[in-house]
Amino acid sequence: MASTGQSLTSLKKREAATANNRDGDQLIITPLGAGNEVGRSCVYMSYKGKTVLFDCGIHPAYSGMAALPYFDEIDPSTIDVLLITHFHLDHAASLPYFLEKTTFKGRVFMTHATKAIYKLLLSDYVKVSKVSVEDMLFTEQDINNSMERIEVIDFHQTLEVNGIRFWCYTAGHVLGAAMFMVDIAGVRVLYTGDYSREEDRHLRAAELPQFSPDICIIESTYGVQLHQPRHIREKRFTDAIHSTVSQGGRVLIPAFALGRAQELLLILEEYWSNHRELENVPIYYASPLAKRCMAVYQTYINSMNERIRSQYANSNPFEFKHISPLKSIENFNDVGPSVVMASPGSLQSGLSRQLFDRWCSDKKNACVIPGYVIEGTPAKTIINEPKEVTLTNGLTAPLNMQVHYISFSAHADYAQTSTFLKELMPPNIILVHGEANEMGRLKQKLVSLFADRNTKIITPKNCQSVEMYFTSEKMAKTIGKLAEKVPEVGETVSGLLVKKGFTYQIMAPDDLRVFSQLSTANVTQRITVPYSGAFAVIKHRLKQIYESVESSTDEESGVPTLRVHGQVTVKQESENHISLHWTADPISDMVSDSIVALVLNANREMSKVVVESEPVGSEEEDARKAEKIVHALLVSLFGDVKFGENGKLVISVDGNIAHLDKQSGDVESENEGLKERVRMAFQRIRSAVKPIPLSA
Amino acid sequence: MGTSVQVKPLCGVYNENPLAYLVSVDGFNFLVDCGWNDHFDASLLEPLSRVAPTVDAVLLSHSDTLHLGALPYAMKKLGLSAPVFATEPVYRLGLLTMYDHYLSRKQVSEFDLFTLDDIDSAFQNITRLTYSQNYHISGKGEGIVIAPHVAGHLLGGTVWKITKDGEDVIYAVDFNHRKERHLNGTVLESFVRPAVLITDAYNALNNQPSRRQRDQEFLDAIMKTLRADGNVLLPVDTAGRVLELILILEQFWEQHKLAYPIFFLTYVSSSTIDYVKSFLEWMSDSIAKSFEHTRDNAFLLRHVKLLINKSDLESVPDGPKVVLASMGSLEAGFSHDIFVEWVSDTKNLILFSERGQFGTLARMLQADPPPKAVKVTMSKRVPLVGEELAAYEEEQNRIKKEEALKASLIKEEESKASLRTELPVNDQMVLDANNTHSSSNAIGQRSEAFRDVLIDGFLPPSTSVAPMFPFYDCSSEWDDFGEVINPDDYVTKDVNIDQMLMPVDGELAGKLDEGSVSLILDTTPSKVVSTELTVQVKCSLIYMDFEGRSDGRSIKSILAHVAPLKLVLVHGSAEATEHLKQHCLQHVCPHVYAPQIEETIDVTSDLCAYKVQLSEKLMSNVLFKKLGEYEIAWVDAEVGKTQNGMLSLLPLSSPAPPHKTVLVGDIKMADFKQFLASKGVQVEFAGGALRCGEYVTLRKVGDASQKGGSAAIQQIILEGPLTEEYYKIREYLYSQFYAP
Repeated sequence: MASTGQSLTSLKKREAATANNRDGDQLIITPLGAGNEVGRSCVYMSYKGKTVLFDCGIHPAYSGMAALPYFDEIDPSTIDVLLITHFHLDHAASLPYFLEKTTFKGRVFMTHATKAIYKLLLSDYVKVSKVSVEDMLFTEQDINNSMERIEVIDFHQTLEVNGIRFWCYTAGHVLGAAMFMVDIAGVRVLYTGDYSREEDRHLRAAELPQFSPDICIIESTYGVQLHQPRHIREKRFTDAIHSTVSQGGRVLIPAFALGRAQELLLILEEYWSNHRELENVPIYYASPLAKRCMAVYQTYINSMNERIRSQYANSNPFEFKHISPLKSIENFNDVGPSVVMASPGSLQSGLSRQLFDRWCSDKKNACVIPGYVIEGTPAKTIINEPKEVTLTNGLTAPLNMQVHYISFSAHADYAQTSTFLKELMPPNIILVHGEANEMGRLKQKLVSLFADRNTKIITPKNCQSVEMYFTSEKMAKTIGKLAEKVPEVGETVSGLLVKKGFTYQIMAPDDLRVFSQLSTANVTQRITVPYSGAFAVIKHRLKQIYESVESSTDEESGVPTLRVHGQVTVKQESENHISLHWTADPISDMVSDSIVALVLNANREMSKVVVESEPVGSEEEDARKAEKIVHALLVSLFGDVKFGENGKLVISVDGNIAHLDKQSGDVESENEGLKERVRMAFQRIRSAVKPIPLSA
Repeated sequence: MGTSVQVKPLCGVYNENPLAYLVSVDGFNFLVDCGWNDHFDASLLEPLSRVAPTVDAVLLSHSDTLHLGALPYAMKKLGLSAPVFATEPVYRLGLLTMYDHYLSRKQVSEFDLFTLDDIDSAFQNITRLTYSQNYHISGKGEGIVIAPHVAGHLLGGTVWKITKDGEDVIYAVDFNHRKERHLNGTVLESFVRPAVLITDAYNALNNQPSRRQRDQEFLDAIMKTLRADGNVLLPVDTAGRVLELILILEQFWEQHKLAYPIFFLTYVSSSTIDYVKSFLEWMSDSIAKSFEHTRDNAFLLRHVKLLINKSDLESVPDGPKVVLASMGSLEAGFSHDIFVEWVSDTKNLILFSERGQFGTLARMLQADPPPKAVKVTMSKRVPLVGEELAAYEEEQNRIKKEEALKASLIKEEESKASLRTELPVNDQMVLDANNTHSSSNAIGQRSEAFRDVLIDGFLPPSTSVAPMFPFYDCSSEWDDFGEVINPDDYVTKDVNIDQMLMPVDGELAGKLDEGSVSLILDTTPSKVVSTELTVQVKCSLIYMDFEGRSDGRSIKSILAHVAPLKLVLVHGSAEATEHLKQHCLQHVCPHVYAPQIEETIDVTSDLCAYKVQLSEKLMSNVLFKKLGEYEIAWVDAEVGKTQNGMLSLLPLSSPAPPHKTVLVGDIKMADFKQFLASKGVQVEFAGGALRCGEYVTLRKVGDASQKGGSAAIQQIILEGPLTEEYYKIREYLYSQFYAP
């Protein structure tokens, strides 16, 4: 485990850092989306060669490729892990595209509930946007394919992929929403996604991680705004609805089909049960997903708060008595007051827009916008209550209906954010997921809040990288035999350094198999070399080369053996073979190679005679050849050599003449000295030319 | 030195008794599992009672009685007060199991070992964890991390991993490596070389048929009985293995469009299934996947009807049916009653899906050959009437008055001794002590009585912890008219027979759990009447292994794979334990322990370790070689000290000394063969050696399967004549290794 407390961080001090740090210590965080904006959340992070991508959303205000995060900035194939915090479109909707249309080949994780709803929501998104968008990013089939690749993670479950350890905490916000903590080599990064520290009717509040991260990437949707207390918001909400319907008006609540809608339904259900007079006013939950998402909400009760779980023991709190589902506008019998909750929440298209167009000019009606609205959407426009609005058919109509904006979106406000950060104390804070202005204001306030501490607060724009350096100390654990004695300063330690993930161990080679799955091996080699000469020759020659050659005899077969350099054993296997026997290591291999070379050499010297004598065809030719050689040699020795009669050679040196009988080797000469010299020379020549007497 | 680890079994070694073990890690005492048997035999808990107050944390691994049954009792009576850790399903289903037990018992006896409130309060302080959640223990056990991992067997079943300073102690009992309908297989195999592994020998001698074949036989047996107009009783546990059986039946009924009714009858069946529906995260991947795709919750049961009261079953029209009823031991609960009703009809089938606990009726019936007749006790709770009621009320009044008197006395005393406040406190304590004393006496008697009833005709020696298997003499005499019957056997000994046969009034036929609970919890004075009778066992009896545990062979191969440094064996018959011990000594590791009850064994690893810092200078010169998930390098370093006194490794100032070469790597002959083949070398296996090309042979010697042995380094022999090929193959061979 690397220590985090001691790690020194220096931000953007590249000139100072490069000298000491290697590239691996550089941590890069780049928002590919949601940098100084809300929507298309996607944050890239890389450290020590490991790469993590957080979220993969689209921008709801744009369509087609323009809605995607800036994937061009990165190489998708290098990403190890992709973590999705929750199912909202701005956090998860570009996932099918990223999985199916890019080179990404890492692993994707999200919580169980997120995965279940992700499919519902995206299939619906594909269906709805089919009408309005030509260049579809992905199809229903892509979504189904992506389901195969998504893996699930449970809250607090710690997983490790390729040395990246990560786990998640409850984030509040919506069912299944998670905050991810990523630990690479002891450097921890917390990515909050969207979170809320306030417990509501069905969700738990975001947890406070028990470890302080080194970097906290945090949402800043609400900037420095403060939420009204929950009960006041609920009262405003129910009052607005109550007064509208009691005056015979209709109430439109545009909302995301899943997530906050369930919270609003729980509020409405409770209000209706407590107010008998409203019994006849119908509430419609107009979403094609209404029924199917119920199964999800019923199943993942364990991700919700205690309140819901205790209710669940008696009956399913998501079975509503006063709320009926509405499939499409055709099934809607629009007579008298009613409350309709319809998706999408931003009023671009779909049922909520159709109803808005129908109801907007009647001042009895009301529209309650219950969540955060994204810049550039019709919902954002009507919050400012313009006199006129443009309908979907292009005409303009007066906006007479009342517009209420009561936020129930479970994002943290300034109070929550500041207390969260104060308790967490991250040395580095990166703000994402917020409009530039809000973010700027939040940054100012946080800077003054953490003025006494050396906290860095950064608000990178899209594709703007934040670089930091972490020189985490590498710690190793010395174990096993090597650790029997703790060494003193100045002593040496030698052993195997084994690295797994980011943990290091030093051990003796013998212990390797005990402490890891690796094992060591001995390779014994035995090679046979043809050699037909005398074993003593080899011994003799080896002794000339090597210092240590011990000879002995093999106990089993009784054949002589030699042990060279204490490592290689040479054994005479048979008359024609010797064998070499040794345990592989570089030195022994070298010794054995030299022995092999030596043996081969000895072999070749002997075989030369054999090889050369063989091609000699007839004896005559052989004899002639020998004669020639003898003649030539004698010429070189004595100069004047002539062929005399009877096959004798006449050698004359300085006037002295010698007659040499080639057959017998007899020499006749007057000069004794010459006679003797010629005889010796001839003998030597003969023994060289015909070393083995033919008769033998 | 390594982390000190001691293991002390409290129950369940060398036999199949419930599990409870004390594992101390550096002085921090974990009680792993806290089981009890279906008899609630208090004598089993004696060792636990001696250590209960010293326990620092309790870890529960499964949701059945054998693993957590004693928790309420230990919390209430034995002074166990440590925090408890379990997964959400173990917590929830364990709670339901205990409810079911209590209600079943209360219905037929004056059960007073623990109450529903005791169960609630015991389960209240369970900390719920998810799989592979690393929980850092604070306070006394600082530095210890516990994490539950998938065990299979039961929903939420846990293999516990206790980690301290990088050393793992793993507790894995009743795991299942096979993937089942509703559960994933265990992840035990992903742990390698833990310091200590504690596992069970329960199944060491068992072998299982293939799942497909077993399922088929199971369904065939059921269908045969149903078609012959018989009833099928499956005695099951409350919320464990029954889930798998329900899925098998559901699936088969759905496939074949069968109309025979199936009933799941326990006191908590509807809550069980309700909760199980919300535990999809804990189930197998296929169940999660089907939910994601079709929104079909696998436990949205279409064919199995949930009943919580036997009268509901009685109102079902006659005809063949399948009933899954608790308890699996047939000792209590609905299964007991139904058994008595159905046992004497040859058409019926009683199908056991798990081995009964020792000394229970189920175990007796699983004997081969099964007994011809068994004695059973039929008990019923009836409201008091007439004189008895009056007597009871009088008694209650008397008690009330006494209490009032006592209270007033105490008050008086208090006011008297208002200056000396200690005295009344002391008095109260004495009073309390007396109370507990008398109640524990009562428990003793109670359990004695139980034993007498349950193990009829057999008196276990008072010293023995586990009763011997009861010997039942089937010496029924026969005469010309068949078996000689002693009419006395059939005469109920209780005079209250009339009352017993009275139709159960509305009070009993309550709804859901509340109904039955209300009967037991309501203050209406009632009493238990019992009758003993002998029933002829005429129906078919079948035992099939649906226990969902790994079989002997797989256990052995898993253990060999995990290869712990030290292995502790618990839970399993003496024979099985001994068998597995011998096997592991030979094939797994040299340190295998099988301690006796209350024998403390020290499994502290003889491992030495110290920490050093790796200096940047050293690391910049280290070249790692990647081998699988490891990276490895040879280092020669000089020891230095950092500013804060840590040892650190610095590069050597002098040239590195030579060191013996090591070849690192694990070569598999088959893999190497493929590798050579891919390089264009002709390879084949011949006589245990790999023949490469024309003349070169490669062989591995030494026992490769002995993983734990320290001496077993792989020995590879490469032989051949001097050829070019030889050097080529040697080069390939070297390429498989890393020689630092």
